[in-house]
This record gives sequence, structure tokens and C-alpha cells, in this order.
Amino acid sequence: MARERNRWLSAYALIVYAFLFAPIVVLIIFSFNKARRGLVWQGFTLDWYPKLFSNGELLDALTVTLEVALVAVIVSTVIGSLLGLGLARLTFRGRGATETLLLVPMLTPEIVMGLSLLLFFLQLFDAHGSLAQLWIAHITFCVSYVAVVVRARAANMDPRLEEAARDLGASAWGAFVHVTLPLILPAVIAGGLLAFSLSFDDYVVTTFNSGVGSSTLPLYIYGKIKFGVTPEINAISTIIVAVTAIAILIAWRAGAFDSGPRRPVADEAAT
Amino acid sequence: MGAAVQPAEASAASTPLTDGPGRLARLRAAALVLPGVGWLVLFFIVPLLLIFVVSLGSRDALDRITLANPSLDNYAKAFDPVFIPTFLNSIRFATITTILSLAIGYPIAYWISRYGGRHKVLLIILVMLPFWTSYLIRTYSWIILLRDNGVVNSLLQAFGLTSEPIILMNTDLSVILGMTYGFLPFAILPLFVSIDRLDPNLIAAGRDLYASGRDAFLHVTLPLTMPGIVAAALLTFIPALGDFVTPDLLGGPGTTTIAKNIQELFLAGRDWPYGAALGFVLMIVTLTGTLVALRTLRREVAGGD
Amino acid sequence: MTDRHDGSSIDLEKELVRYMVEHRISRRYLLERIALVGGAAALAPIIAACTSSGGSASAAPSSAAPSVAASVAPPSASPSPTAQPSPEGALNILNWTDYLADDVIKSFEDQFSVKVTQSFFSTTDEMYQKIGEDGGDYDISFPISVDVPNMVERGVIAKLDKSMLPNIVNLGQEWANPGYDPGNTYTVPYMWWTTGVGYDPKRVKEEPTSSKALWDARWKQHISMLDDWQEVFGLTLIQQGHSANSTNTAEMDQALALLEQQKPLVRTYSTDTIGTMTSGDVWIGHIWGADRFAIQETIPDFAYYIPEEGGVKGSDTVATFTGSPHPVAAQLFINHLLDAHNSAANTNLIYYMGPNAAAKEFIDPAILSDPTINPDQEIVDKLEELLRLDQSVRDEYLSRWQQLRG
Repeated sequence: MARERNRWLSAYALIVYAFLFAPIVVLIIFSFNKARRGLVWQGFTLDWYPKLFSNGELLDALTVTLEVALVAVIVSTVIGSLLGLGLARLTFRGRGATETLLLVPMLTPEIVMGLSLLLFFLQLFDAHGSLAQLWIAHITFCVSYVAVVVRARAANMDPRLEEAARDLGASAWGAFVHVTLPLILPAVIAGGLLAFSLSFDDYVVTTFNSGVGSSTLPLYIYGKIKFGVTPEINAISTIIVAVTAIAILIAWRAGAFDSGPRRPVADEAAT
Repeated sequence: MGAAVQPAEASAASTPLTDGPGRLARLRAAALVLPGVGWLVLFFIVPLLLIFVVSLGSRDALDRITLANPSLDNYAKAFDPVFIPTFLNSIRFATITTILSLAIGYPIAYWISRYGGRHKVLLIILVMLPFWTSYLIRTYSWIILLRDNGVVNSLLQAFGLTSEPIILMNTDLSVILGMTYGFLPFAILPLFVSIDRLDPNLIAAGRDLYASGRDAFLHVTLPLTMPGIVAAALLTFIPALGDFVTPDLLGGPGTTTIAKNIQELFLAGRDWPYGAALGFVLMIVTLTGTLVALRTLRREVAGGD
Repeated sequence: MTDRHDGSSIDLEKELVRYMVEHRISRRYLLERIALVGGAAALAPIIAACTSSGGSASAAPSSAAPSVAASVAPPSASPSPTAQPSPEGALNILNWTDYLADDVIKSFEDQFSVKVTQSFFSTTDEMYQKIGEDGGDYDISFPISVDVPNMVERGVIAKLDKSMLPNIVNLGQEWANPGYDPGNTYTVPYMWWTTGVGYDPKRVKEEPTSSKALWDARWKQHISMLDDWQEVFGLTLIQQGHSANSTNTAEMDQALALLEQQKPLVRTYSTDTIGTMTSGDVWIGHIWGADRFAIQETIPDFAYYIPEEGGVKGSDTVATFTGSPHPVAAQLFINHLLDAHNSAANTNLIYYMGPNAAAKEFIDPAILSDPTINPDQEIVDKLEELLRLDQSVRDEYLSRWQQLRG
């Protein structure tokens, strides 16, 4: 019976992955579309790929996007994870308020968040948008997501494990690093992945906090709508997917994904 | 009710992190929580307060914001019945998207966790990979799939299921499809993280206790992964409520959302004060609803002790 | 914007322009000369040069101009202003993506050793937010003409230094003194357009001429309207015989009623006209005229017309701002855009017509001869411009728009 469930479930998983990748397949195919603009297939061409490498603005936009995302992910993952962990494991005064505080950025309409930050930086620092401003803005909207994910995981964690470590002579810091951290690590990574996706594709908050020389890829792309989005964009998206896929493949072959808590023997008997 | 097998955690009491001399413990607590809270207060709450002040203001003849006569007029205006249909649209789309994302996401998170083995992390990253492309191009790709002479319609006609193209684009269906697609990873990730942490011994025990696998799942696995489900629901429902781009690009005349109303007031209407007020009203309503739902959920989960 | 040249005598203005461009003198210099030595004396050498070099009475393009290019015309170096301050090393432009031809930017960078950085936006309202009260960090952007008076009053836009803009003579006469900016004191016009109806003749197998075609139940669920309250109400009001800028709430209500009737037939309200029309789901839609050329790349016989009841025209401007970090470079760039070749290059890229009379010789003849992109002056004169309405009027429209879209 376990094997049957496995087969149905595996088929289901295949369908879900197909659903996730269907638009991506279309996207890749249309990167070879001869049509300059428009959503209709007009023949095959490879021209968009070399073209995009000579498009300085597009490449700059991609660079800025990655610069912003990298910083946003690292900082928001660190402070978000700490926050999520603290909320899950500690009682302190104002805990309820902090939990509420966590939710509010997620339910703020993007235009409100974007313009509020614009106003903040303009009024207080006479700043008109910059890379640093984008870092701050992106970190701000990512923190909650990381915290919520880490909190859910930490809430499921057995506190006795840490207690045991302490009993065995570990310091509080040591227990944290060697027991707690590895246990919540998947959640931290998951939060980081979410944060990256949020930052990479953000438009509204970004457009009101970007300045000269800090235009991101979404800004470049949405700016194209008025006069037609060209398959160059498909091409660069395809390259991003390809590069990421290759990087993942290399990491996988190198065994980077093999670590993880060993399952206790009892589990293998049960399954 | 639901005889849930609870982990020994129950209500969070003091933990090893805060053990030890009181002050040190409080310091540690602060170290964990303060960076996040401090950041959000400085870069989120303060800007929000600025916008709140704006919402109390009005515009001068040149459309500049003025605080000459602060009042709550904009809030009174925000309760205009014209916003009810769009508000209901937002609620409707967010709710359906959340339910679908959870329903679709749970089994796949489960599959990755229990059958992914060595490839678990790889499989999770694969879930995210489609979203490191441009949102606009993904949406265009959906248009290519769903339009009248698109892939889906062509296939339906090729298999003789339909004789004419059915209208799939610019409908509620395309919006829900697009939103679910966009929020699926936001559901899958927290679900996976929660399911993956399940102690297999408890699952095994559950199977011993209950006759059918289904009961074991309902009474053991599901409640144990409740924090993950709650997290997934939050991460889907709340941002979905404020999503206006997907319904805008993939939707039609009947799918306008309240988020779009707010956006329009700020930009096309050049009326920051009014837009801000409407935004705050939406936020307060959403927050209240969410907190009530969470409290009810906690009571229910804790009550089955 | 057809030439008013009647072909029977020298078109002095045109010859004057050509002379000045060829000899790189500014209008100011000419005026000074006239003041110094008297009109006849100053103009005599010009007239002599024109008649002797065969600048004849015919309407043929001047001999100094290269032949019409079908693709992007090679940009020329703009005539330098007489006393030229040196430009700062950089220029920041806020723009739609692909709104300026690459060659135009490159030639500017090369000529003046200025590094141009472009930043992007996707709607005009966004642009205004980013410009703010003094331009932000941007030197150049493209505000819509009807928004200029408000921005001038708020002190956002900086006054132009005409001595640095000799190319301004290239503008067509009708653009010399626009209502929104008398004498082009603060801005120069950039592009202009019409809004009307576009359709795919393979689907709409007839040739409609009225905007009522957008209400035709035969195209149910294959109609699109712009996601722009002012354009949508404008079209409807004109159809009902009112002004597109009506301040009368009864007329607004009438328009709303008609739009509510249309709503079940509408597939989408969208400003992504190129995407919408080329997807094939929409057969007839409310679009901007120049989009037709872009759509024709995919649907070759795509048609466009200005409704017989009347239509809407609009224009945008190039402006620099009071807080701009590189004012000299900004002025030089504006002058650069006014160059005939450069203006033509931009038109050939985005298909919008410019106000530049001298550029016409270099514009793709397909665009130039197209009566829908480049209609006759009489037609253009009948079109209404969507004005920046008073706040209270705008609020009335907006609340009806919200009702419609709800």
C-alpha cells in the first residue's frame, strides 16, 4: 500500500512540476521568436542572444538586480531568522505586539510601502533613490517572510534537545550553534529562497526607491510595455534559468545537497 | 476533539536560551529579537507613520500634499460603497488562491519530504526556479497558453473536447490560475519545512493507533504540521489580498481589486491622502481578520489536548 | 502637419532655417545682425545664397539634405551654441525603455564626452512621482504637455536657455507657441499622437469609422479599452457630442451610463495595447495611433482610424528640472534632440510623430505618408487635447471611473 501511494503521489508531483514549468517552457521557446514585439510566433532566430549581450542597459539592470537581491537576502535572512526563532522559543513582554508587527508589512499594499519609503528618505535625508535605498527597502519587505517561515519550523522543535546539550556541558552559545541552528537551517534556507524571489521580481517598491544608476531588471522590463516587450527579455530570463540550473546541477553533483539530519533507524523500519 | 499527538513543546515556557542569570537571559532574548524589531520599526513603522500623517491631510490647488487642515475626512470617504465590489473581489481571489495553494502544495511538500531522499533540497530549489525569471514574461507566457488561439484551446480542440475556443483569458479563472501559480512556492516552502521536521516515530505510532492510513494522516500528521499550514496560509493569503498586478494583467473588467483602487488613487488620482486612508482601512480590516482567525485557530489546536 | 508651402515663391522661412543650420548660426545671432545692420542687409546674403545655390521654388527637399532613409537616419552633430559652457560629464535621463534611439544617445555621448545614464518607468504617473518637486536626480524627462503648467507653477521645471538651443528653429511653426508653454519657455515638444480605434480587418470584416464600433455587440468579448479614465471618458464624451474635457457632471453621468452598457462587451481595460492586440483575443480596441505600426509587425494589415465623431490628440515635452545636477549637459541634450536627424531617428524607432519640421525629410516615408500617424493639419486641428482638469472635476471623473471598474 505504501508503494501505491508512492506512485499516485509521484505522478501528482510530476503534474505539479509540469504546471510550475509550463510557462517557463513557453518563455524559453519564445526567446527564439523572430517577431520584435508581440505575442505571436513568427519564425525561429537566435539573434536575441547576441543582441542582449550588447545591450548595456539590460546588463546593467541585471547587475543591479543581483546586487540588491544578494544584500537583501543575506541581511533579511539573518535578522528574520533570529526574529522568527525568538518569537517561537521565548516569552517576553511585547511578544504579541511583535507577532503583529511581523504581519503588518505583508499586508501593506505595495504602493503604500513604496511611497512611504520614498517619503521617508526624501523628508529625512533629502535622498532621491539609490542602491542603498533599495537595499533597505528590499530588506524591509523580506524580513517578515523569513521570520514567519523560521518561526513555524522553530515552533516544531523540541526544546529538550537544547536542554540536553546544555546538560552535556555546552554553553548557551554552543548549544545554539550546534543544536538549534542546524535544526532550523532548512527553514532559514527556505526563507532565503523566498526572499530572493521577492526581491528579484519586485516592481512597485523598487520603482519609487530607485535612482540614477540603480534601475533593476523589472524596471527595465516594465518600461518596455509601452513600446513593446522584445524577446530579449525572454532570452535573458532563459539564460538566468539555465545558469541557475547548471549551478544547481554542479552543486548537486558535488554533494552539496547531501547533508541533512540522518533519519533514526526506527523510521526506516516504519516506512 | 481531534486527538492530536502533541510534541512536548506545548505552550512556550522558558527555554534553555533564557536559562541562567536573568539579565543574561534577557540580553540573549534581546539579541535575537531586537535586530528584526528594530529594523522594522525604523524602516517600516516610521515611514508608515509618515504616510498616516499624509492620510490626515489633503491636497492644495496644485495637487501638493498639505497638512493645513488635518482631519479624518479621507477615512470617512474610504468607506464609500463603491469599494465594496472590489474589496470582495480581493477577498475572493485571496481566499481561493490560499485554499488552492495549500491543497496543491501540501501533497507535493509531503512527497518531497518523504520521498525526496537525497534530492530533497534540489527538489525544493526546483520549485523556486521558475520564479527567478521575469514576472511580466511569465504572465505573457500564461497569456500565450490561455488565449483564444493559445496552447490550451488548441489542445482542447485537437482532442475534440471543444469545437470553438473557450474564453479563458481575462476571466476569474485566469486570475486565480495566475495567482495560485505565483503563490504556490510561498505555500510549498513553509509546508515542506514543517513536514520535513516531523518525527517519524510519531507517524509510526499514529499508524499503529489508527486503522487506516487516512485516519493516521488526519489525526497525527496534519495536526503536527499545523504551524507549517498556518505559516503557508499567512504567506499566501495576506500578500494575495494586496496583489493587484496579477488581476490587472490576467483579468478582465470584473476582476478589479481594492489594491488597484488604492494604486489608482495614489497615481492617476494624484491623491496621496485619500489613497493612504483607503490603504490603512484595508490594512486594519485585514489585520483584524487575520488576528481573529489566528486566535481562533490557536484555541482550536490547543484545545484538543 | 503638412507644409503650407504653395510652391510659387521662395519659402523664406524654410530657406532661412536651412541656411542657419548649414552655417551653424543661431537665430539669436541672426536677430542681432538684423538689429545691427538692418533687415535687408542682414538677409540679403542669405537670399543670395539661396537663389544662387539653386534653392528653388519647388517643394523638393533642399539639396543639402541626404536622401530619405528608410531605416534609422544617421545622426548629425548638432550646431554648437555660440558661447558654449562646457557640459558636466554626465547626464541622467528618466524615460520609457526604448524611447530614445541608441544612435541619438551615442552621438551625444561622443560629441560632448558626456556619460548618459537612463532610468526607467512604466506609466506617466510613476514618472511624476519620481521627478518629485525638483526633478530628483534626473536632468531630462518627458512630461506630458498638459501637465507642464502645473509643474512650472510648482517650480519643478527649469527655464530653458534659448541661446543654447539653436536647433529650436527646426520646430514646425504650429509648435512655436503652444498653449501649455507659451514660447516654449520651459519645455520643447517631443512627440505627439492621436488616440482612436484600431482593429484587425481579418476579424472585423468591415471598415468602421465611428467610435461606436467599440460598442458593437458583434465583437462581444473581443473589445478593449484603454485603462486610462481620461482617455476612456474623453472618447465617450466626444461620441455623445460633448467636450472631452467636460466639467458638467450631467454629461459625465451620461458618459458613465454609456460605458456601463459597454462593460459586458469589453474583454479588458489595458494600456498594454501592443500586447493585447497582438495576442489575438482582442479584435477591436481603443489605442494610441502610433501603436498601430508596432502592432503591424505582427498583424500586417492592422488598421487604425480616428473616429468620425472626433478624437483626442496629445503631446509630450522634453524638460529639465530646477534641481537637475547637470543643467548644461541637459540643455545641450535638448538641443541635440531637436536636430533634424535625431528627431527623425526617434520617430523611426517608436513610430510617434515629432513636432520637428526639418526632421520630416529623414523620417521613414511609410510613417510620414500615413494619414493615421501623420494626419493633415485640418484633421489635427479638429482633435481635442485632454487637458489637466481641476482637482474637483478630476475627482468627479475618478469616482465614476471607480464605479465603472468596480
